[in-house]
Amino acid sequence: MSQQISRNALLPDKAKVVIFYVALILATLFWLAPVITLILTALKDAGDFAVNGAFSFPKSIRWENFSEAWETGVKNYFWNSVIVTGFKVPIGIVLESMAAFALTHMHFRWADRVFTYILIGLIVPMQMTLVPLTLLMNALNLIDTLTGLTILYIGFGVPFGVLVMRGFFRTVPVAIIEAARIDGCSWFKIFYRIALPLAIPAVVSLCILDGVATWNEFILAQIFLRSDELRTLPLGLVQFSTQFSTQYDQLAAAVLISVVPIVLVFLFFQRYFVAGMGGAVK
Amino acid sequence: MASEKTATLAPRTAKSAIKSDDSLRFLPWLFLAPSLVIYTIVVVYPMVYSSYLSLFRWDGVAPTKAFVGLDNYGILLTQNDVFWIALRNNAIWLVAALLLPTSIGLGLAILLNSKFRGSHISRSVFYFPSVLSLAVVGLIWTWIYHPDLGLLNQVMRTMGLGALTRNWLSDPNIALYPVIIAATWNAVGLPMLLYLAGLQTIPEELHEAAKVEGALPIQRFVYITFPLLKETTLVVLAITAINALKAYDIIYAMTNGGPANRTQLLSTWMYFLTYNYNQVGLGTAIAVVLFSLTLIFAIPYIRFMTRKT
Repeated sequence: MSQQISRNALLPDKAKVVIFYVALILATLFWLAPVITLILTALKDAGDFAVNGAFSFPKSIRWENFSEAWETGVKNYFWNSVIVTGFKVPIGIVLESMAAFALTHMHFRWADRVFTYILIGLIVPMQMTLVPLTLLMNALNLIDTLTGLTILYIGFGVPFGVLVMRGFFRTVPVAIIEAARIDGCSWFKIFYRIALPLAIPAVVSLCILDGVATWNEFILAQIFLRSDELRTLPLGLVQFSTQFSTQYDQLAAAVLISVVPIVLVFLFFQRYFVAGMGGAVK
Repeated sequence: MASEKTATLAPRTAKSAIKSDDSLRFLPWLFLAPSLVIYTIVVVYPMVYSSYLSLFRWDGVAPTKAFVGLDNYGILLTQNDVFWIALRNNAIWLVAALLLPTSIGLGLAILLNSKFRGSHISRSVFYFPSVLSLAVVGLIWTWIYHPDLGLLNQVMRTMGLGALTRNWLSDPNIALYPVIIAATWNAVGLPMLLYLAGLQTIPEELHEAAKVEGALPIQRFVYITFPLLKETTLVVLAITAINALKAYDIIYAMTNGGPANRTQLLSTWMYFLTYNYNQVGLGTAIAVVLFSLTLIFAIPYIRFMTRKT
């Protein structure tokens, strides 16, 4: 038990511990109620839902909801999201870490000004870019293509990626870089043989944060993807919900399918979320 | 190479060897080029061009645009009722975002900062909604608010509050607030995480000393914890404000701006005007307004982020 909790002596320690845990468990259940409802809805059939509502245990578990949702279109949305995220994240990270390296270790006179210029991108509301991007993508024939969307994602990812990687590269001792330089190592070699391997924890953090953000992105996908078979998950699900507005069971199953990869990543790489956000603030 | 020679001939510091490194005149630009080029084309140039377009009347298709100066802004301010609804909703949303997720996040961080069995799991639980997409959060909460089958009304009925149940998302007077609550559920995680990181930097001895002096927990919070979290609070407030002004997906998924445009935000109204009504001039003008509002919070934040260098 924590010192703080056991030290105050108004109540017997044991009672306090019990009260604390009961309160914590209640708060947790309250917080997760929407997710629990989602899971329960996804597991029951539509009739059960109509009679007993969302927050009751399923009469019988109906796994077909998942296979039916998958076949109705979620399959496409899912693979589109995988493709876009799979290309965007690695390409983005290579570009962003190169830029961050130049800003931290190459004695670059303009570093501060360029960094500020890049930071502006963190605060720009998407709406500020939509019309010109529509014109541009139209001219380049990239509307309604996953390639076009991926390029946009890479561009919008630059500010956050540079911010995180720069935060990390700043902690790499200058002495190591200088020693390598004096030994005649080229800057490209220093970057990918020394700085990048040292930055693996930051790279993993960024992969995860960026992967989740890309997986979840909505507005650009909404504007630049037109045909149903190209939609990514968040867009597809919202569309699904307007088309099949009464089939809660399948919709819940579809939402759950989209959330599973995120949950897995979250469970396995939790500490990197913390590390990544920390890097962004330092 | 010149730099090596300097290093071997004279035992100067390594730094001067690198500073006189000729390859560093253009090489940093080469490292930066891919990022800068794509970022400029995708983010910066459209920003500038949007501001320019906001000075024209244009439907987005016609080959010519009519220059109207600041008329679009005038139209928004004087003839566009929904613009004012949206502006007011943005203000409400902003206030709620600055109060709710931040204070809940701080409370949870203080509670979960102490190590006890289950503290890690609890952190994950409270952070979890933050990894979901806002579209998904919107869909999940739309069920919670479902008039007949939704969890909220069901719970209220079992508690004998049946008279207070309603169709939460269709009542024009209140529809915005259920959406804000859903958004808060998603937004708590980030402040909590940042505050947890901030709390780690406060030395335990300070609290020990205060305890020895007989300070109550509330006094320790007011005089030790909170003042030392000032920087974190600054970052938290700036980020929540910036994110609040970006809100879009969750409105789209839950109310689509309705009923009767009563839940429009500047971000969604910009979309409607531009893509549904072909009022590109008005749409880009709203975007500029939205961006200007963001700047109020963003300028101190960017100053803070670039301070130490």
